[in-house]
Amino acid sequence: MKLEWRLAALKNGFQDATAYRIEFVLEFLGAALVPAAIQWVLWYALFTIGGATEIAGMTHAELIHYTLVSILFTQIRGGDLDFELGEMIRSGQLSNYLLRPVGVVEFIFLRGLAPKLFIAGFCLALGLLLSFFTELSPFRLVASMGLALLGNIIYYQLSASLAAAAFVWEEAYSLLMVKNMVVNLLSGELIPLNLFPASLSWVWQSAPFYLFVFGPTQYALGRWSHEQFLTQLGIACLWLVVGSGLVRLTWGLGIRRYLSLGG
Amino acid sequence: MKFRRALGHYLEIYRVQLKNNFVREAVYRSNFLTTLMVDVIWMGVELSLFTVLYANVPVISGWTKEQVFFFLGIFFASDALFSTFFQRNFWMFSDLVNKGELDILLTKPVNPLFLALSRWVNLTTIFNVFLGLAIAVRFAQPAGFAGGWLWLTVGFWLLVGLASATVLRFVFSIWVFWTERSFALSRLYYQFFHFATKPDALYPPAIRYLILTFLPFAFIGSVPARALLHGLQAWEYALIVAVLTGFFALDGWLWRKGLARYQSASS
Repeated sequence: MKLEWRLAALKNGFQDATAYRIEFVLEFLGAALVPAAIQWVLWYALFTIGGATEIAGMTHAELIHYTLVSILFTQIRGGDLDFELGEMIRSGQLSNYLLRPVGVVEFIFLRGLAPKLFIAGFCLALGLLLSFFTELSPFRLVASMGLALLGNIIYYQLSASLAAAAFVWEEAYSLLMVKNMVVNLLSGELIPLNLFPASLSWVWQSAPFYLFVFGPTQYALGRWSHEQFLTQLGIACLWLVVGSGLVRLTWGLGIRRYLSLGG
Repeated sequence: MKFRRALGHYLEIYRVQLKNNFVREAVYRSNFLTTLMVDVIWMGVELSLFTVLYANVPVISGWTKEQVFFFLGIFFASDALFSTFFQRNFWMFSDLVNKGELDILLTKPVNPLFLALSRWVNLTTIFNVFLGLAIAVRFAQPAGFAGGWLWLTVGFWLLVGLASATVLRFVFSIWVFWTERSFALSRLYYQFFHFATKPDALYPPAIRYLILTFLPFAFIGSVPARALLHGLQAWEYALIVAVLTGFFALDGWLWRKGLARYQSASS
């Protein structure tokens, strides 16, 4: 395991992301606050205007807590690294990376991970600060952030596997857009997943996306027991293994088809 | 006479642009299916979100599920019109300034803004206009839409939505003359765009005021749907005219200021 190039990739990724600081801050704030504002608006419409007292067993205050705490985790997963991989395959830029003695999928991941680690640190510090004034447990916050970071890896593995479709279809843009939309809904970023009717809960439970936002938020809020959290951590590790296998399989097959002129 | 000649001239240019775009899209036929797939999934996600919410409550802010679905149909159609005629031009807008491509447009004997906003037409997304309208038609009756001659006004309201999206997107793109990169602002536009995906009646007064005035995202789908379902009050028509006129004036002023600042490829 060579550490040097990995650290260099992290440093390079961080410098790249923060080269335009105003853009970096604007993007972070916009992506974090607007979805939360939309959630808050929905709770306002349902409870304040509609007069509801409870929805799916959750009160107005509980839903607001969910919205606020989920902001800490919504920015950990994501990024456009998969689009970058797809574009590299399509345009033939991948050749430049294949010549280097580093794994291209891992290299791109590490470059994108650096700003996410910074954001995770910032969100964790914010959460810990809040824990002084609220009932949030610092231990649970740290563990939840760990789960969110595992979610970031799983998300990238699945995304990179989908991006490999560019080896076959020339471009994977549409596939990745579809994935983003599905993840938005099934990660718990738009609404808490327990609002899904019981008959439809299998939809979000059968994908790993709930581990990105919904899971960490549930544990941080104390709605998952330690045992439940450990079980979900185990499930996350299983998904890591599946994701790793998928990356190896899709990129192994894809590279064989690669013509250096695009897919 | 002079106006008619100029109009004919611009229509002819637009016809050629359409033809070029059609030829380009005919080459990439698989793009049609993938674009369609993305939009269908997006529509599915939006419809699913409200399906989940309405599984818990019968009415949200006085809107039934069918009324919200009718709104979404109008919104999808309006947004698809924007995607067809303007979206790609705005994505390419920062290249015009950063890479100096605007130089070429400035040398042509036509308004450079017209060329900047009409070069790219995404003809495949026109299909989604019909898809959105199909959703609106499907839920029109259960939503309480009176129908009849009111169907004739749908086109007008879609144009209001298109105009609103265009003037708003322009305000978020034009800063590239000053900031060099407009990527974050474009992303910010799409973050705010989420406000357009819900009926404006859901929002608290402060946000509702904002999306009806300074950031009129409600004009893209929500106000048109409300106008079709319940009609608007006189002051609301006046507000639409005032806000859109104000934005047209602001966009024109910013464009002129931006051009004055433009330093060719080195800008």
